[in-house]
Amino acid sequence: MFKRKFSVSWSVFVWGTVLAILGWSLFPMYWMLVTSLKRNMDVFKVPPELWPSHPTLENYIALASGVNPIGRFFVNSLITSILTVIITIILATLAGYALSRLRFRFRDQILVSVLVTQMFPLVIMLAPLYLLYVKTHLLNTYAGLVIAFTSFALPFGIWMIKGFIDSVPVEVEEAAMVDGCSRLKAMWTLVLPLTIPGIVATGIFAFLDAWNNLLFPLTLTNELKMKTLPAGLVLACTGQFKHEWSGMMAASFITTLPVLIVFILMQRYLVEGLTRGAVKG
Amino acid sequence: MAGERTTRRISGGKEGKRGFPRLPLSFLLIFPSILVLSLVILYPLISSSLLSLFNYELTKPHDIDFVFFNNYSKMFKDDTFWLAFRNTLIFTGVSVVVSLVVGLIVAIALDQLPERLAGLRGIVLVPWIIPGVIVGFLFMLIFDVEVGIANVILKQLGIIKKFLPWLMDEQLAMIAVIVANIWNQIPFYILMFTAGLKAIPVDVKEAAIVEGASRWQEFVHVTLPYLRGIMVITSLLMVIRNFNNFPIIYTMTGGGPVFSTTTLVIYIYRLAFEQFNIGYASAVGIVWCLVLLALSMVYVKMLYKQVH
Repeated sequence: MFKRKFSVSWSVFVWGTVLAILGWSLFPMYWMLVTSLKRNMDVFKVPPELWPSHPTLENYIALASGVNPIGRFFVNSLITSILTVIITIILATLAGYALSRLRFRFRDQILVSVLVTQMFPLVIMLAPLYLLYVKTHLLNTYAGLVIAFTSFALPFGIWMIKGFIDSVPVEVEEAAMVDGCSRLKAMWTLVLPLTIPGIVATGIFAFLDAWNNLLFPLTLTNELKMKTLPAGLVLACTGQFKHEWSGMMAASFITTLPVLIVFILMQRYLVEGLTRGAVKG
Repeated sequence: MAGERTTRRISGGKEGKRGFPRLPLSFLLIFPSILVLSLVILYPLISSSLLSLFNYELTKPHDIDFVFFNNYSKMFKDDTFWLAFRNTLIFTGVSVVVSLVVGLIVAIALDQLPERLAGLRGIVLVPWIIPGVIVGFLFMLIFDVEVGIANVILKQLGIIKKFLPWLMDEQLAMIAVIVANIWNQIPFYILMFTAGLKAIPVDVKEAAIVEGASRWQEFVHVTLPYLRGIMVITSLLMVIRNFNNFPIIYTMTGGGPVFSTTTLVIYIYRLAFEQFNIGYASAVGIVWCLVLLALSMVYVKMLYKQVH
């Protein structure tokens, strides 16, 4: 391959940009962690300490005993997110398979509608949904939250899995079905294993969607003990954490940690899934 | 019986020929998804469009009147609506343009790195997965008037003379929420553009070098034309996303001070859940949905063009 000659100004540009973006991306994260390890009075020091002079875990310990049940929020988040992942994967796989392999009326219309549902502002669903949840006793339930979260992860998942199944040659299945294998068995044993990356990516997105969602738990639950982390923290923010930056950052770090772990473990799938549809080939 | 036969035929494949009556397979597979989407998205949309014709207030459940398009005509005379509209355009426009330019520059720089440093690309993506509420908290701390490090840094650099009350000032609050938003979103642009850069054929790049094109010429005549499609699609998607952006603004300012960072979604939320004016909130919501629907249609068209 032909390469350009080494150029000082170009190298300066490349490395300057890389260092700048690394600093910009990482500094706020670093600041969150450092602040969570400070005593709250040290947060107010001018100039600010770049590393805590008295590092402490007291903020994390205080979270457990605070007015707001952060531990309970965490458990709520975990339960609803994991259920959302499971249900989204099942529903998206079934629908993705049908939309990829079967021919039926309104197929294209359904595909486009599914995509468009993602574009509407969540805010306008809330009032009717709230009224519906009151009537159907879904208010303040995990089921209610999981259904709402699933609906927001589903469109992306259906498209993702459909895309992956599209790329599995249909001949494989047809051969098996000629040999007497049922369609569902062929789907389960032949197509599904090849779709795993898409399924994993769908699961990750469902997890991030559910874990990060603020509006649904904010409005579809009104008991404190049913809030998930984002909604619970917003409420705590004006009470417990007022002027208590270190506690707030400790809670933020606890909230960020699970998504960070998922991201680090699953990054490959996430990137592949996201960029697949957008770029040719 | 005839109906049953037709249904069976629609299912296609081998099942139809086995001869026991059943719903089409395609229907069974899609139905659960459609059910969830109808319940959480379709039903509320329809319900909202109906509610928008009533003067429904949660606090007065027995005093509901059909008011035709009064809510809509009220909206056009509502100064706060127009302010929120303007704020939405500023918030979205600045966020998308800055992220697009920075994302492109960063993607090109990262693309030059040797393969063994590919892990750095992963680090750059981290801000994108942070929950919106946490992004809000983080930048509340960074922009705080007393303890915020933004003030310390800007003062050290000589850009400001005294500490500024970023989140309490009507002019500055918008800047602060936009910075937080850009921090959160740039990774998405980097991700998309990195994928786009990888898709440029090597021989095209080589041809440019062999013919003596400068880096700038290569950028203008090779990189940009190849990335144009993905730039349009990414921007459009992000315009839609930012039109709907809620958690960062809500956490940092709640739409204030006064209405200076109230975008349309924040305004709709305040109308519905702080003033309990469901009818009017629905009307504003429906108008906003139509705008988004139009944008989505453009997006879907562009996406199809890109893929095929």
